Amino acid sequence: MTAKTPEKKRSKAKKFFTSPARITLAIAGLFFIISLVELITGATDITSPGTSGATLRFAIPLLMAGLGGLWAERVGVINIGLEGMMIVGTWTAAWFGYLHGPLVGFAAAAIFGLASGFFHAVLTVKIGIDQAVSGLAINLIAAGGARYLSGIFFPPVGGDRTVSPPVDSFPTFTIPIIAPLLEKIDSQNIFFISNLAGVLHGLTKDLSLVTVALLLLVPLTSWILWRSKFGLRMRFSGENPMAAESLGINVYRIRYIAISISGMMASLGGAYLALVASSVYREGQTAGRGFIGLATVIFGNWRPGGVFAGSMLFGFTDALRVRQSESVMSLVMVAGIVAAILGIYYSIARRWKFAAISIGVAFFGLWINQRVDIIPQEFVTVFPNFTTLIVLTFLAQRLTPPAMAGMPYRRGSE
Amino acid sequence: MVNILEVDGVEKKYPGVIANQGVSLHVREGSIHAIIGENGAGKSTLMKILYGLVRPDAGVIKVFDREVSLKSPQDAIALGIGMVHQHFKLADNATVLENVILGSEPSRFGFAIKFEEARKKLVEIAHTYQLDIDPDESISNLGVGERQRVEIAKVLFRGAKILILDEPTAVLVPQEVSELFTNLRELVNKGLTVLFISHKLDEVLAIADEITIMRQGTTVASRKPHDTNKKELAELMVGGELPRPKAGAQNISSKSILTIKGASYSRADGREILRGVNLDLHGGEILGLAGVEGNGQSELIELIMGLMRPSSGTVEVLGLNTVTTPTRDIRNAGVGYIPQDRQRDGLLMSAPLWENRILGHQFSQPMAKGIWVNKGSAAEDSKRVVAEFDVRTPGVNVLASALSGGNQQKFIVGRELSGDPHLIIAAQPTRGVDVGAQAIIWEQLMKARTRGAGILLISADLEELFSLSDRIAVIYGGSIVSILNPSTTTAEDLGLAMTGAISA
Repeated sequence: MTAKTPEKKRSKAKKFFTSPARITLAIAGLFFIISLVELITGATDITSPGTSGATLRFAIPLLMAGLGGLWAERVGVINIGLEGMMIVGTWTAAWFGYLHGPLVGFAAAAIFGLASGFFHAVLTVKIGIDQAVSGLAINLIAAGGARYLSGIFFPPVGGDRTVSPPVDSFPTFTIPIIAPLLEKIDSQNIFFISNLAGVLHGLTKDLSLVTVALLLLVPLTSWILWRSKFGLRMRFSGENPMAAESLGINVYRIRYIAISISGMMASLGGAYLALVASSVYREGQTAGRGFIGLATVIFGNWRPGGVFAGSMLFGFTDALRVRQSESVMSLVMVAGIVAAILGIYYSIARRWKFAAISIGVAFFGLWINQRVDIIPQEFVTVFPNFTTLIVLTFLAQRLTPPAMAGMPYRRGSE
Repeated sequence: MVNILEVDGVEKKYPGVIANQGVSLHVREGSIHAIIGENGAGKSTLMKILYGLVRPDAGVIKVFDREVSLKSPQDAIALGIGMVHQHFKLADNATVLENVILGSEPSRFGFAIKFEEARKKLVEIAHTYQLDIDPDESISNLGVGERQRVEIAKVLFRGAKILILDEPTAVLVPQEVSELFTNLRELVNKGLTVLFISHKLDEVLAIADEITIMRQGTTVASRKPHDTNKKELAELMVGGELPRPKAGAQNISSKSILTIKGASYSRADGREILRGVNLDLHGGEILGLAGVEGNGQSELIELIMGLMRPSSGTVEVLGLNTVTTPTRDIRNAGVGYIPQDRQRDGLLMSAPLWENRILGHQFSQPMAKGIWVNKGSAAEDSKRVVAEFDVRTPGVNVLASALSGGNQQKFIVGRELSGDPHLIIAAQPTRGVDVGAQAIIWEQLMKARTRGAGILLISADLEELFSLSDRIAVIYGGSIVSILNPSTTTAEDLGLAMTGAISA
């Protein structure tokens, strides 16, 4: 049929746009601009090992929340309760970690996370409560429960009503040979190469085994989703549960399992906050990371690799917040240059609306750069949220969410 | 030849409804057996029983001469019975192969899918039965006909010997129907058996080896296609003679009520959907708009209703420019709109009928009283619609979702014709409804035309276009390629014009 040909071409174009080669190229290009800005301004913090190390540490909890969101949404259930499930993770990890050591703390967080996920599954899948309502309920119960239990358990053992007693943390290690080599290259100050080495150095030194283990969940999730029987059934439970049901697949069971795992992932993210990023439970420790995790799911287009990229981006903005604000100024320059390049690209492509927006952003960046000496701390604080907003706005058109995510589904419905 | 499937005395009762009673069916191996009947005649229930989705209260089902009890689709699949659903059960966001293997994935250790093995098997099936499908294409890129082939492949992949196709042609355009029929013939030649549910008599006569007719929950007769004709089948289906649409006296007004001049429309991604469309509709005439779906019909409707703006050109409805007039005012000026997707755009499924009656009339008398809706008059007028359009419903307080598709459609048509609109946009007004409902809808549209209303009839049903239209405009690739006179045009010519083969 004649009508179908352009469609096919479009899908190929789309594939090329998201192909790994293109993405690598884009990242390299972006990195080149960053190196250039650092060369001009003399600021070095964006690509310093400290920043990349902090990025990774901030990214892991977001990554785990994101993977949690992914596991739930892929089977068609939105998990607003990620935040609460992370609280479950922080609290149980700290308490059981205090009693029996960090490893047990981690295991406990996994088990209680599974349970919290299972609870969400019972409410949404079996009883059919609105998914947002159930998620909100879990957030409230977890926050309230953690406060209540803290008041009972922590004060007698040396903590107080909002803070647990300190817990032993996990040992860290530095990858031998590679990390020192990268450090050496970083110190040579070669344009681009040293900047790259600096970033990689930060990612290879003082690693926690937990970090590595949790990172491995990204390829594992990918493999399960696209290569395994269970993953195929998961995806269909989220795309078209009626179809899955008609082929004899027990959609409810798949959803129970996946949502429980979702809870476990988020809870492990919480455990990381309590046991690796710090060594204590503190009230409010999760600080909305469950919600940012939900944003990374959208940012990552419901793919594990995308969720990882999203959490690194948000982790990066988080890392900048706690480091110096001069790097934010460098980033404004980077953003300005990227916007200018996009503006030229869109002008050539004759997409005037986008071109105008991009060039506007570029000039705004230039204006800030000329007029503002120090970015106010407040701006640095909202920077991650602002980035989220911008990124989601621009990406929203290209997304392919699971078709039935968030929709109620009852067994046997047409 | 032996009977591969025998059904005797099957009965299924729901509270207050007898869905099936005394149903008997004998299907020979290697034949295409059609089951026809109106909506609500019990065809779907029977199919659900055969596929194990519904368990009968009484009766015997024999497959290959062995009495069986079907408790679930798995039982049916194990016996070699496969179902091609009317509403495709496919995930857009997955490939053809993934959709086909779901639920019967060949795997290593029960976990890792052996994709290569699955692909090989699918390609083999596609080759054997000459189904044109690409295993790695994403479903979202496929047209309706291709999706249906995927559904058929799905069933064959599970080793089905008996294929049940539930109204397979309801969603297809004529060219796709003939492709489907070629495929079905190929399946039967290779020894499979096909059960074909339909209410389209032409198609049944063209493809079936044997026809069983159902009415009011029971099987009333069996015929061979060469021993019967359309008229007899239709009468067996409805249990009496069918009313035909009578073309009343025509009084075309000189004033144009819908004027489209050079209207173009481009989507946000730059694709041009409509190119310089010119159309002119007068009161008292029915202008048919023929075309393969997706050639700009939906967009044209949205331009007329003021839901979108043309990128160039003008659309004038009853003298109002649709760009500057809000949709509400366009409707209030006297425009009725029967949308093509009744469940999405035409009804609130979880609201009672009387509330649905208010939709589109919520700002005008008698449905509104000031800022309040008037339940009393809405309910009263709903009763009128129910009576006039023969909507089969226990009352006007039942939810729209409780009605069958045909009855929902009659209710929508009744609502849109209320208040005697001057212009009626009727998009696929009889899609998926049975011949009885179709006759009523046609009659009412004809009545509106006689009264002096202008009707734009967008349809994929050639018979409908030929029986109702005074002129037929053909849309292809976003342009009106020809305007035909139905009394001097053949269905073949219209079909060719629709595919852009000729622009007469």
